[in-house]
Amino acid sequence: MGAVDTQTTPVTPAGRRIARGLQRPEQVHLAIVVALILFVLVALPQILSVYWVTVCTAVAYISVVALGLNLLMGRVGLVSLGQIAVLAMGAWIASKLSFSTSLPFPLVLLATGLLTMVLGTLVGLPALRLSGLYLALITLMLAGAITVALRTMQFPNGGPGFLGNDPDSSEAVRRPSIAISDPAFFRYTVVVCVIMFALALWHVRGKAGHAWAAIRQSEPAALAAGVNITVYKLWAFALASFMTGVAGGLLAADVGRLYAISFPTSNSIVLLAVVLMGGIYSLWGAIVAGVFYSLLPALLNDWGLPADLLTILFGVGVIQVLLTAPGGLAQQFPRDMRRLGGRIASLFKRPAGGTST
Amino acid sequence: MITITDLTVRFGGVTPLDGVTVTFESGTCGLIGPNGAGKTTFFNVLSGFVTPASGSIEAFGEDLLAKTHFRRARWGLRRTFQTEQAIEELTVANNVGMVLDHAHDSGGGSRNEEIVRAMDFVGLDVAPEAKVQTLGARQRRLVEVARAIVGQPKVVLLDEPAAGLPDEETAHLGRVIQSIPQHTGALVILVDHDMSLVSACCETTSVLDFGRLIASGPTAHVLRDPDVMRAYLGTEEVDVGDEQGEVVR
Amino acid sequence: MPSWQDFQPFIVTGLALGGVFSLSGVGMVVLYRATGVLNLAFGAVGAMGAFIAWSLINDQGWPQGIAYLACVLFGGVVTLAYGMAFGPPLAGRDPLVKAVATLGLALILLGAMSWIWSDKARSMVLPTTEHGFNVGEVLVNYTQVIGLALGIAVTVFTAAFLRFSKLGTAMRALADDREITAALGVPVRRVEAAAWLGSGLLSGAAGLLFSNLVGLDAATLTFLVISSVAAALIARLRSLFVTLAAGMFIGLVNALATPILSISQYRDMAPFVIATIALLFLSRHGTLSTAKGAR
Repeated sequence: MGAVDTQTTPVTPAGRRIARGLQRPEQVHLAIVVALILFVLVALPQILSVYWVTVCTAVAYISVVALGLNLLMGRVGLVSLGQIAVLAMGAWIASKLSFSTSLPFPLVLLATGLLTMVLGTLVGLPALRLSGLYLALITLMLAGAITVALRTMQFPNGGPGFLGNDPDSSEAVRRPSIAISDPAFFRYTVVVCVIMFALALWHVRGKAGHAWAAIRQSEPAALAAGVNITVYKLWAFALASFMTGVAGGLLAADVGRLYAISFPTSNSIVLLAVVLMGGIYSLWGAIVAGVFYSLLPALLNDWGLPADLLTILFGVGVIQVLLTAPGGLAQQFPRDMRRLGGRIASLFKRPAGGTST
Repeated sequence: MITITDLTVRFGGVTPLDGVTVTFESGTCGLIGPNGAGKTTFFNVLSGFVTPASGSIEAFGEDLLAKTHFRRARWGLRRTFQTEQAIEELTVANNVGMVLDHAHDSGGGSRNEEIVRAMDFVGLDVAPEAKVQTLGARQRRLVEVARAIVGQPKVVLLDEPAAGLPDEETAHLGRVIQSIPQHTGALVILVDHDMSLVSACCETTSVLDFGRLIASGPTAHVLRDPDVMRAYLGTEEVDVGDEQGEVVR
Repeated sequence: MPSWQDFQPFIVTGLALGGVFSLSGVGMVVLYRATGVLNLAFGAVGAMGAFIAWSLINDQGWPQGIAYLACVLFGGVVTLAYGMAFGPPLAGRDPLVKAVATLGLALILLGAMSWIWSDKARSMVLPTTEHGFNVGEVLVNYTQVIGLALGIAVTVFTAAFLRFSKLGTAMRALADDREITAALGVPVRRVEAAAWLGSGLLSGAAGLLFSNLVGLDAATLTFLVISSVAAALIARLRSLFVTLAAGMFIGLVNALATPILSISQYRDMAPFVIATIALLFLSRHGTLSTAKGAR
């Protein structure tokens, strides 16, 4: 899909051709990513204690939630203020499927993703006629409504009836049979998350991503290029909901016993903050966001500091990103590093050549 | 051929287009008029961004108003914008090829051949993989024009394509515009304030003033029309700024 | 289905709640019209003000009146400070960006509240709640009267202010076009400051009343008030009287659902659901959607 690969070799009048396959910098990039994934899969569970492995599991699936929001905001320019409610919805559906059916876990995940996608799309369909601010508010309202509903319904835990909640039951959501232990489940989660990131990348690089880029810059220009902007916005919503639903399924299996109180509306705002701080124009930003959302509170806890400090920090971060650094950390950090590298290099060059400025 | 009958647009109390009836036969047709005459609104109606209060548009036997905006683009109605709208974060090839992807318009050859042919036709001398944000103003303009003529366009609307370009670039662009009909078979409508560009490119020209059509015919003839001269001389000093219904993005 | 008798007390509750919803809605609409900022931290500011008042009374032993004044002033000062610091640099940005930035303020306040006051549940009881009178068989307390009366009074006063005062006219002009208003010699910064301060004072007052009527809880107060954005949105962020009516409606639906057992647990969804339906309904008529390319 996309620009670079078509079946026939282009023969062009001017002798120019459109390059095919991966370019050299992209090959290097890919190699680094593969090495990183292997390290996380193989080495990380060996190095870390079980506690930190579970924290990293959360980082992994939260970065998928962040990825959904990252795509919506960075690629399409849509802001959703209710992604944690969607995550809760996914977790609810996964719990329900886990207790009411005997589907194997991968199918539970897939079905959860698809059902969440349908619900998310139903919400998105009418809301897409609204412009940015109103759309964002609708998602906030719906998140509020879902939070209230969940607080009453609670999560299925093997109880009777459709809602399946029994206050006395303490049954946990199933984990995949090949990943019962925490380190194994961590690896399982990472694999699923890698698939989600690949799915996102495939979309961004392809026809959908190009259409989103056009929509974000100028809806008239997108329309003039024949882009059905409603379909592509809806597609973005559907994709983000699907990924968030899958993440919800992972969360349900990770935590086992779910409580509505773990999904306050304010967490959707926190998620927005970390996604903005991570950077919305790069998929790496989603991983940074996952680290901020799940790893930092655990670290602060470990150091005996109140996690509320982080909420304050995230608030400051949102304002700072909007004021000065729209690219977030994912763009800022490499740039700073390059600048630092340049400084260091020039320090070494100066005595020898004296040509640096 | 496009036949426009009694086209009227109202925004609140303003009537940017008032009962315009005009026919564009073939080749490159000029559309001129002082600022605020309704030229951009006219383009926005053709592209489907503005719904007219009344009137009809028939293009090559199709009722254009019956199609939504993006379907008009897929059908073959292409345009450029007054403020250039090439998509910055995409490559040149992806910008130019976007119409092909969405219109399922494979043109004569493969997608990439079409893209390169369009780039060569407009004289865009950059790598297809170059990101648009790295290009200069002239090249971005050409990207936009290439996007408008790639594949099999039926109607190409050019909204002040030469705005802000130096003279020699304008001359090049003029040659490109002139040969679009021959190269693609499309009908071209050119809006521009540069009269030398319009006279060089267009066999016929129509003139709008305050939303009304005040002249239409062979370009040389129209430019000598006393009504047209009056419309221009009467308002040229008073620059009212942006036109009604302009796409401001 | 419960009888009419059962509903009566909840009409009073609903009207009081509706009054405060309207009060908040008006506060947000005024700020939005003058500055283009939809202040989503409105509720968080009020909530923090209420917590401060609670602490001043219960920990410091301050007189109640002064503590309540401090709450209202806190709202004004924090909102004004935010507006002065971040209003100008964000002035040219999209309304969405401006609104998201206020979520940053909301997070800061939420974090601070949860840090300082998380140890135990608190409740705020205004002295006016302890006194009341009977209407028929329904006991009405004075806080409820204040809630309703303040909602109406603020709406009427603000509408009159915008219409007849010089500052109000300047605010309305700002809502139309910032550059032209500035070119006409209106001191834009000062007018905006007045809007931030006024809206902030209202947020303090709303926080105080909500903490009494609904409960003193940071998250609840923060997001409850966002649903009074709903009231403001139904008014398309313009008409103050529609904001009042919508606020009343939301308050009433919320309260009247209480005696109906089957839905009473879900009644807190009312503001959100009403807002959503209203927004979607308005979008059908194209009033909120992006004008398709042209404007």
